[in-house]
Amino acid sequence: MINLTVNEKPIELPDGGTVLDAIHLAGFNVPTLCHHPKLTPYGSCRLCLVEIEGARTLMPSCTVPAAEGMKVHTDTEKTKSARSFILSMLFSERNHFCMYCQATDGDCDLQTAAYDEGINHWTITPAYKPFYVDTSHPDFILDNNRCILCRRCVRICSELVGNNTLGLEHRGSASILIADNGIPLGESSCISCGNCVEICPTGALYDRRSMYQGRETDLTHTETVCMDCSLGCTRVIKTRDNRLVRIDSKFDDLFLGGLLCEKGRYAPVKEVRQRIEKPLIRRNGELQPIAWDSALACIATQLKAYGGDEISAYISGRLPMDTLQGFKSFFEDGFNINRVGLFGHDESAAVSIELAKEFGAFESTLDALEDADAAVVLGADLTTDHQVAGFMIKRKSREHFSLVEVSRDENKLGQNFIRRLIRVGDDYDEIIDLLICYKANGACPDAEQIIQEQGLTAHRANLLLDSLPDWQKPVFIIGKDYAKLSNLESLRKTIRFAQEIGAKVIILKGDTNSFAAPLLGIELNPEFKAATVAIYAMADGHACGHALEALKKSEFKIVHSAYFNEFTDAADLVLPCKTWAEIEGYYLSTDGRLQFHNKALVAAEGQHSIYDVLNFMAERTGFSLKQDWQTVLPQKVSGIIKA
Amino acid sequence: MAKPKVASDWLAGCAGCHMSFLDMDERIIELTKLVDLRATPITDLKEPDEDGVTVGILEGGISNSYNEEVALRMRERSKILIALGDCAVFGGVPAMRNFVGADEALKRAYIESESTDESGKIPDDPELSTTQHVRPVSDVVKVDVFLPGCAPSADAIFYVLSELAQGRMPETNQLTNDWH
Repeated sequence: MINLTVNEKPIELPDGGTVLDAIHLAGFNVPTLCHHPKLTPYGSCRLCLVEIEGARTLMPSCTVPAAEGMKVHTDTEKTKSARSFILSMLFSERNHFCMYCQATDGDCDLQTAAYDEGINHWTITPAYKPFYVDTSHPDFILDNNRCILCRRCVRICSELVGNNTLGLEHRGSASILIADNGIPLGESSCISCGNCVEICPTGALYDRRSMYQGRETDLTHTETVCMDCSLGCTRVIKTRDNRLVRIDSKFDDLFLGGLLCEKGRYAPVKEVRQRIEKPLIRRNGELQPIAWDSALACIATQLKAYGGDEISAYISGRLPMDTLQGFKSFFEDGFNINRVGLFGHDESAAVSIELAKEFGAFESTLDALEDADAAVVLGADLTTDHQVAGFMIKRKSREHFSLVEVSRDENKLGQNFIRRLIRVGDDYDEIIDLLICYKANGACPDAEQIIQEQGLTAHRANLLLDSLPDWQKPVFIIGKDYAKLSNLESLRKTIRFAQEIGAKVIILKGDTNSFAAPLLGIELNPEFKAATVAIYAMADGHACGHALEALKKSEFKIVHSAYFNEFTDAADLVLPCKTWAEIEGYYLSTDGRLQFHNKALVAAEGQHSIYDVLNFMAERTGFSLKQDWQTVLPQKVSGIIKA
Repeated sequence: MAKPKVASDWLAGCAGCHMSFLDMDERIIELTKLVDLRATPITDLKEPDEDGVTVGILEGGISNSYNEEVALRMRERSKILIALGDCAVFGGVPAMRNFVGADEALKRAYIESESTDESGKIPDDPELSTTQHVRPVSDVVKVDVFLPGCAPSADAIFYVLSELAQGRMPETNQLTNDWH
């Protein structure tokens, strides 16, 4: 512990803290711009300068380590005049005209810092040197005229996302933010995660679709769970007058570090599909409006006329717990329908359940990625699916980290790792056997041949294998290309090896609620079969060609969807559905976290969710939906995921 | 004692700050009980009193030689000069022209515009003012009170003027310092 005083107040700070940490601990504050609690301190803006008795000059509190006996003063004549001077220098360096910037009036840290110092005019005239505005990116704009070179965007892109796209070119006042080696952002290695846009303190990086549509205080913020994969990141839906404006992350979220990926941040605002507004029935080849009452009566008739194998009911994995269980209980328990399944061909949840029968609670929670020092990624492409998990790995290339990856297609997950063994294809066994052999013997006769297949970076594979004995906190990440029921033998071998070397295991389970579905008894990877009556509860999700074929071959086709699509084109009865944003409910993440998703928008009248319709049907048929998942689920989850 | 005299003028601005001034609505009656409102672009008198005013207000930045003359005259005739609005304080929207320069801007406006034919010509009558690099008022004359904003709120303008009318220099606070 370090003992020092801040503004004469004595405090005790844990070792390794900075002067800024000490200032905060003492209950004081200094203005900052380039500093962010989630990024390593940089010290570029100099706004946090403080007086430390005995020091040669004013010191930047964000980077100076606190030392025993320091006497820090935060609000003296010198510090106040330094802050005003620094701010006037910042304003004069580029072109900071507030009146036509969308960050003005509350969303710009530079403007707010100036207000706080009582600055009401510029004492140094700007040079009026125009800076490049990069509008090449489809999702956001970079206006270098507003940049204060704080490097927050550069740091988040490398330290938290691990993509290393952004950097700086040239020096001094000629310094400029660039992508890769100076190419337009839209042509660069940028993966459109948008985290740089969110962390930019000024209006330099801003979102295209939501610009000028309201300050943060004009928008309604609803904290929800992301729907676009099973990681369950928190996202904040920002709306105005019941219209989706922007999706941001929750930076102070402890879990997964408050990052979002392209899917989570932009998929909903890029929605172009046409919304269905009323129930429709096909008459003479054309879909025509029908009253809800008639639509429900029609479904009831169909259900009463047929049963068992003659009806198939499929549901999307992007729906909350009450809907999934309600669907299952209504069709299976209520109408004895044998074929109640989930859309999609991802067997990972089923595999997890199967493996738990032998290994007990063998999986770990996602925070295992935070302090991992080695990862074995099998059958998952973390650059397209479950991207935030990919960020947590990519950013480790700056540290002593070992990466083994076997993926179906080539990807850029491991490109910056020094110790890496990358294999494209589905030779999971060959690689696992190599690791097992190397672990046991310190060498392996097959090694050279396997390594050579990595081509130019073969020497890195050697480094990887040599690092095996040093792995302290390895993590195995298994994705849907490997997690298939046909691979169970291989998977068992892999889990056994993982447990032998003390590795944590994470199996990534597809869609938002794909994990919950089989736990509630809904069949995964159903073989889509045609039936006399087909009920497709799609909500706002998609389904594959096999499902479409089966639908077309069915006699009476009922599709409950939020949007028009190929399935509604083929349907006989189409019901309008609420989207994910218009319903609330519980979702189970891939590592067993049960999270509540809040409603962010209000649906138009006449659009009913799948759960609403299940309730209407239940009323009509005198059936009551089973809703005991709250008591049943936790036990099942704890049998698979270690707490 | 006579009421303090107040005069205003607008330079390279959109008149929005004067509109915001008028947005104080019925409070203008209260204000005119405390001050003698003299020349403004929206009252009958057009030049600030030759024997001087207590408070001079300038809206808009300085974009040509005429603006410069007006600003110099207002400064000479005012005890206290207020720079009203972002254009007067920072240069504002007209200062965007500085990124391309006055020459380029004139060419674009008079010769290269979509509605100009071959007869397009930059006006060069000697009676016209010379186009300049756009500057905030404080780059040309000393300013005593800065009231930024686009436009500053009527509440802020009322506060500043009523403080001055009662013999006090207005504070810089959350109300008066809102750059927009």
